[in-house]
Amino acid sequence: MAALEGFLVASFLLSCLTSTSYGVSFSSLQKTIVVSASHQQGKVLKAGEDKITVAWSYNNSFPAGTDSAYKTVKLKLCYAPISQQDRAWRKTEDNLEKDKTCLHNIASRPYSHSNNNISWTVERDVPTATYFIRVYAYNSADEEVAYGQNTDAHKTTNLFQVEAVSGRHASLDIASVCFSAFSVVSLIGFFSLEKRKAKSSQQK
Amino acid sequence: MCPSRLHRQLFLSRRASPILLSTQLVVTIWKFETGQPSKNTVKFNMEGSYGAPESVQKRFALPVDSEHKATEFRLFSVAAPHMRAFHLSWVSFFACFVSTFAAPPLLPIIRDDLDLTATDIGNAGIAAVSGAVFARVVMGTACDLVGPRLASAALILITAPAVYCTAIANSAASFLLVRFFTGFSIATFVSTQFWMSSLFSSKVVGTANGVAGGWGNLGGGATQLIMPLVFSLIQNIGATKFTAWRIAFFIPALFQTLSAYAIFFLGQDLPDGNYSQLHKSGDKHKDSFSQIFRHAVTNYRGWILALTYGYCFGVELTIDNIIAQYFYDRFNVNLHTAGIIAASFGLSNIFSRPGGGILSDIMAKRYGMRGRLWALWILQTLGGIFCILLGRVGSLSVSIAVMIIFSVFVQAACGLTFGIVPFVSRRSLGIISGMTGGGGNVGAVLTQVIFFRGSRYSTETGITLMGVMILCCTLAIMLIYFPQWGGMFCGPSSKGTTEEDYYMGEWDSAEKERGIHMASMKFSENSRSERGKKVESAPTPANGTPNTYV
Repeated sequence: MAALEGFLVASFLLSCLTSTSYGVSFSSLQKTIVVSASHQQGKVLKAGEDKITVAWSYNNSFPAGTDSAYKTVKLKLCYAPISQQDRAWRKTEDNLEKDKTCLHNIASRPYSHSNNNISWTVERDVPTATYFIRVYAYNSADEEVAYGQNTDAHKTTNLFQVEAVSGRHASLDIASVCFSAFSVVSLIGFFSLEKRKAKSSQQK
Repeated sequence: MCPSRLHRQLFLSRRASPILLSTQLVVTIWKFETGQPSKNTVKFNMEGSYGAPESVQKRFALPVDSEHKATEFRLFSVAAPHMRAFHLSWVSFFACFVSTFAAPPLLPIIRDDLDLTATDIGNAGIAAVSGAVFARVVMGTACDLVGPRLASAALILITAPAVYCTAIANSAASFLLVRFFTGFSIATFVSTQFWMSSLFSSKVVGTANGVAGGWGNLGGGATQLIMPLVFSLIQNIGATKFTAWRIAFFIPALFQTLSAYAIFFLGQDLPDGNYSQLHKSGDKHKDSFSQIFRHAVTNYRGWILALTYGYCFGVELTIDNIIAQYFYDRFNVNLHTAGIIAASFGLSNIFSRPGGGILSDIMAKRYGMRGRLWALWILQTLGGIFCILLGRVGSLSVSIAVMIIFSVFVQAACGLTFGIVPFVSRRSLGIISGMTGGGGNVGAVLTQVIFFRGSRYSTETGITLMGVMILCCTLAIMLIYFPQWGGMFCGPSSKGTTEEDYYMGEWDSAEKERGIHMASMKFSENSRSERGKKVESAPTPANGTPNTYV
């Protein structure tokens, strides 16, 4: 028993050392991409229906040649701090492998210096929350090397809200109520059947 | 041996419904302990009032004793009424567990659909296990009044609407409500144990109870596999994520409803018929509820076992609630994989809980009650240690291994607890069992409130701290002391207290004059096996009641 526990502790220590694989750190990225997003209809977007237009380009105030390593860009929908509160599964971490801020992919495009925009319909499985948009630039090894976002460093400006598809349908509602009523009625039926059986056996 | 006195004992045991369970349990436990199956049975047949054994035997597929309780446990038979009732009760208890823990494996989807915070999820998890705290205590009384068949079918049908309505939940509040009402269904634990004790004799009641309880608890593990599977099937048929999980809840709900129907139409309360049909004559003695209640709440051992059961069964319920989300979030596995891993925790119930019960009986044969107490303390402490480890390991494979070892110890401790519960009180057995069962749910509520609600602790820290709490609360077993058998550290009382003194202490002299304590007397004699190996030379009891076997 003690040997088994010793083995487990040793293997757990070993696994601790091996499991901390490190991805790119967010704080090491330069914000060299300028992103802007626009949408109609005020601030709340309906998932599956409304569109959002994203435009991004390289920020020319950075020295020329900084973007020579950029090969592809990925656009992502990211949670604003208010939607991350008390929800550890959306936590922001500096290690981009563990970071859960940007869980929804919008699009992936080859990198180009300027004149990039897309119009994206908010997908049906996007949950109700407050978002901003971030663009990551990747090098040929598919590692993040730069980013841009349509909000400020504290993620407080230019946020927009999405209202999710609820998933409820009238048919589901009706089915639930019917089956529930059926259960209760069955129970009443059971009790009266039982009383009748008892009476008839007493009469025998 | 005086036939009329024996007749009166049997008559009381058959007619008096509140003592019905206890007397049968008395005889069954004694027989199970000492493994002496046939002597008493033969005696009863010769002098009892139930007709010739041969004609009785023809009515039942299994061999039965004089009370028509099965003396064999044939797992692969569905013969009415014994084995059929066994299969009906474990399957329905399984269905209730599946429904109660159907939400956790789908939480990564549900939390996005209903915009839940960690606090909302924690509260719903607490609500799911808190309903059964009182429901379990009440279920014992319900079984006494209407029989386990009607009581369990009724509870299952009343809670089925909550499962159907999970499909129409649209907020944190409605989600909490449906989980709360669904959780009442796991009070069917009490009706399962009650039903098995009514149908199986001492030789096999421990096995029947342990297997029925363990295989029912299995539902908590199976649901972690079933629900993600059903969800992905429905998604493949074409429903979107947020609709598919709602439709998925119809499966456990239908399963529950069907099992209630099966119990009602195929089950039978007692070997000879259902409660409503059996004629209850005016000689029936009904024990006073206030007396039973008083003796249950004033027995400190019942409270200690309720506390410690909260840290084996309660921990099991907590893990059922949090483990899928833990693996999904911490190790980034997909929903399906998280479900499989989480399922393996509950699935070990298939052998570990029955194994705990069997271990308790093996320890008792050699070391008596002291052996049972030590076994419980050791295994539950080991469970606590592995719980601490579980929160500390950072790699997926080691985490899974530790979790499985942890599950075996924790579930065996559940089985071991119910090896001790029948001896705490004879008169108030039903309420003590209900209290212990309820205490399990209280433990689940407490651990979730303290460690797994909101964002105060990360889940892995919560698991480690829960392990520390297991270690601390399990120490309470050291306080359990039976004057006639001893405790963990002390031997039996030097004053020579006997089992009679302990169990007769629950009756006052007026009640003894009416003769309603006779079943307790029998139990006291039978429980002498809890002294351990020295039982072979047990002396005749001091007040001169002769032994009823040669």
